[in-house]
Amino acid sequence: MTDARMRSREQERTDETESESTDGCPECGGLVVNDEEHGESVCADCGLVVEEDGIDRGPEWRAFDSKEKDEKSRVGAPTTNTMHDKGLSTNIDWRDKDAYGNSLSSNQRQKMQRLRKWNERFRTRDAKERNLKQALGEIDRMASALGLPDNVRETASVIYRRALEDDLLPGRSIEGVATSCVYAAARQAGVPRSLDEIADVSRVEKAEIARTYRYVVRELGLEVAPADPESYVPRFASDLGLSDEASHRARELLKTAKDKGVHSGKSPVGLAAAAVYAAALLTNEKTTQAKVSEVADISEVTIRNRYHELLEAEDTIPV
Amino acid sequence: MTDPKETINIENVVASTGIGQELDLQSVAMDLEGADYDPEQFPGLVYRTQDPKSAALIFRSGKIVCTGAKSTDDVHESLRIVFDKLRELSIKVEDDPEIVVQNIVTSADLGRQLNLNAIAIGLGLENIEYEPEQFPGLVYRLDDPEVVALLFGSGKLVITGGKEPKDAEHAVDKITSRLEELGLLD
Repeated sequence: MTDARMRSREQERTDETESESTDGCPECGGLVVNDEEHGESVCADCGLVVEEDGIDRGPEWRAFDSKEKDEKSRVGAPTTNTMHDKGLSTNIDWRDKDAYGNSLSSNQRQKMQRLRKWNERFRTRDAKERNLKQALGEIDRMASALGLPDNVRETASVIYRRALEDDLLPGRSIEGVATSCVYAAARQAGVPRSLDEIADVSRVEKAEIARTYRYVVRELGLEVAPADPESYVPRFASDLGLSDEASHRARELLKTAKDKGVHSGKSPVGLAAAAVYAAALLTNEKTTQAKVSEVADISEVTIRNRYHELLEAEDTIPV
Repeated sequence: MTDPKETINIENVVASTGIGQELDLQSVAMDLEGADYDPEQFPGLVYRTQDPKSAALIFRSGKIVCTGAKSTDDVHESLRIVFDKLRELSIKVEDDPEIVVQNIVTSADLGRQLNLNAIAIGLGLENIEYEPEQFPGLVYRLDDPEVVALLFGSGKLVITGGKEPKDAEHAVDKITSRLEELGLLD
């Protein structure tokens, strides 16, 4: 017994040293973090998935009475705020097929048509629900077009729900508020999209998005920190096909710039674009101001100006 | 180190008043030399005074807004000129219509670079508005005095919304002491 325990402890110790020795990304030597939600070990620096399909060694979900046993169900989708009914109601399929895949008789088809109509009316009962349905659809559409992950969609939907509850909608368009919710959610999640990018996929003008965004943030008391220029770097770098080294260098440039405080009042998108351009030159990779300008939607003049400021900030650092 | 209060400079004063009777702007525009009146573009008549420099906007309702003056005295002076001009056109204007200062815009200089990101976090994101993507300044709304201050990375600031020249001084005092408290002013 004691022997066995000793052995297991010893094993644990070797396990520990093993896990320590695997620390560090095999590609870039960066920090490897465990992403429990996806069961993956991921490098925090370059994004390399070191290990996937990790095993959850946590306790099994236990039930002590019949009620809990029912709740233990593993079927059905989780509730989500990105649907106006939280994904809880039933949808009647639009294909006129039965469970075996056979077509329905014309009698049955008519009946299903009627049921579908009433189901839809029942699902969206009042104006608020219809409003929500349209807005959440819009949020999902824009998030897809911008390549934003699910958690951002969820956040955007929650912000929109709050805006609707606090009666911020009257006097503003559904599309405008939905767009500003996406913008705010992306910023909060640390995957900001520039206003220009947002305006490209939205049905409303940039000025209106900016105005609505400021209004929503103020009224709901959302705390959105100014966008960090570094968070734009990986996207721009990969759009330009630059190496990891270049994007590391770009982030370094931005860090020194931030320490020097030369970024005050400058657009984070412009700073990121210039840093990417400067880093490409510093690491002898080929890119042009025109290409960076196209990827980042920032004028070449801005890139040149920020570029000089970034390099100056780097030069004046006392060693 | 110079006191930021000494760099305070009034940039614009806006005041409103009225002569208490409706005006036919078309005929006033004909008679008043140097008046601009283009109802398609702006419903008011614009009359510019040269010394002190300002612009008076005269509306059909008889209300007058004076803007562009550099001090409260200048506002009174230029409105006096406007009243005299109107009297010359035999429009009745009482002796001393009440003049209310609506807004004073002031500029000042803190004399050193500001790290707006740090200030944004320090002052609390709920009290300020800082969107470098949209506008390079940080908007700080003060409750007392009730003014809005725009802080820029260069250390310059613009204070607007004040009703008295003193409001700007109070605001600058308050901002410098807040920033010193946060250790963001060095």
